[in-house]
Amino acid sequence: MKELGTVAIQLIRFAIYAVMHVLLISRLVLFDLGWCFFYLGFLLFLPLGTPIVVQLLLSFVMGLTMDIFYDTGGLHAAAAVLLGYLRPWVLRLLTPRDGYDAQDSVNVHQMGWQWFAVYLLLLVLIHHVTFFVLELGSFQHFGQTLGKILTSVVFTSLALLIVQLLFFPVRRGRN
Amino acid sequence: MRNLFLFLFRFRGVLVFGLLQIISLYLYVTNSSYQRAAFFNSANTYAGMLLARRTQVTDYFHLAEQNQTLLAENANLRQQLFRPDTTGREADSVQIPPDPADSLHRPRYRRPAMRPDTVVLAMQKLAARDPAYPLIPARVINGTLRNVDNYLTLNVGSANGVQAGQGVVASTGVVGRVKVVSEHYATVASILHSKVLVTAKIKRDGTVGSVHWPGDDPTVALLDYIPRQNKVVRGDSIITSGYNSIFPEGLFIGKVESFIKEPDKNFWTVRVRLGVDFTRLTYVYVVRPRAKAERDTLEARTGIKPEGEGKQ
Repeated sequence: MKELGTVAIQLIRFAIYAVMHVLLISRLVLFDLGWCFFYLGFLLFLPLGTPIVVQLLLSFVMGLTMDIFYDTGGLHAAAAVLLGYLRPWVLRLLTPRDGYDAQDSVNVHQMGWQWFAVYLLLLVLIHHVTFFVLELGSFQHFGQTLGKILTSVVFTSLALLIVQLLFFPVRRGRN
Repeated sequence: MRNLFLFLFRFRGVLVFGLLQIISLYLYVTNSSYQRAAFFNSANTYAGMLLARRTQVTDYFHLAEQNQTLLAENANLRQQLFRPDTTGREADSVQIPPDPADSLHRPRYRRPAMRPDTVVLAMQKLAARDPAYPLIPARVINGTLRNVDNYLTLNVGSANGVQAGQGVVASTGVVGRVKVVSEHYATVASILHSKVLVTAKIKRDGTVGSVHWPGDDPTVALLDYIPRQNKVVRGDSIITSGYNSIFPEGLFIGKVESFIKEPDKNFWTVRVRLGVDFTRLTYVYVVRPRAKAERDTLEARTGIKPEGEGKQ
């Protein structure tokens, strides 16, 4: 019963992130260079113990949904699947000294600023580099692509940080 | 057998990752082909419905801007209708001799035969009511501008007579080419797409080249294949050549902004300022030149590859 509840909650989260992204966030462009990949919030804030196969499938479906709205074929899906694959690695890399607790989740209040900043920036950077290099298909406009990557990393990270601060419970699980 | 399953289970992460990555990349790479199923893009019914809803809301925020554009366009049309001199005037009816049976000898009037009404699009008169030459008005409900390959979604589809491969034109110039069509929506690869080439010519002397977008600035495209010995002047109008059967001849594309001599090429590199402002593109028309099907069959039989499809 508890698993069913988790699945239902995650499905609702999927819908909220996707609809918010398509209806509102995809319209925002920063200095003609930065986009907000708001839907990554769904993938980044999944529970820590999500099985790898489920995580990959969710990334793929979320990416493909975005591809349908952006007419990009499988570009968003490819970058999102890579993100889904690397997330457990990054989580392992950032394991606290005494390992993750059962009630730990990706939450800035719970895991601390430092942990959260490294986690978010590293994964968003990997995703954006993949996305923009794939989109370009070459290294022609290198400077402009670099600008796009950096501006988008800042934009996406700030947006997701705001989501964390607004909607995630302040609960001091550790220390 | 058990070992095989154990092996598969142990490496399930990598295997699923590889599989999904291959599917995504396959979908991405084949994205520019015309044969792809129409489902995975914004022309599919559900995505189209959602985007149309979004447009209904966001329209309100652009009303003032739209009004300005429409007023400017109206003024432009009026100017073309009522020219200061009488050169361009056409009578809307002509006098013909009276009926011999009419004892009062009253003159009769008739509308000029076979003169369909026209719409000025991209600075070229196009017939608006010719059934052999349909002109389908459409509204842009979604579009990107800053990607490497940019697409627009229109609110017309096969139910309105749109077919894949037709040209799309706005009042200010050439917009792009229809890529995928569903029943009520269509996606368009705009000029701002790395694989879209438009055969063009310089209006002044008719030198033929081809316009493509280098991928950075959405207001500027490049005109290639203008030989060195031909003269180029800043401000020259660039129009469609009518060579490929996507656009009728003479539609405005843009104006020459600057041109440079590349050291190792025999052609000018001409920068063209596009006539269409893609940031506020709202109303467009889907066009096609006459007798496209017949011409395509003939050219295919001769072995000429269709142009404008892109540089593969």
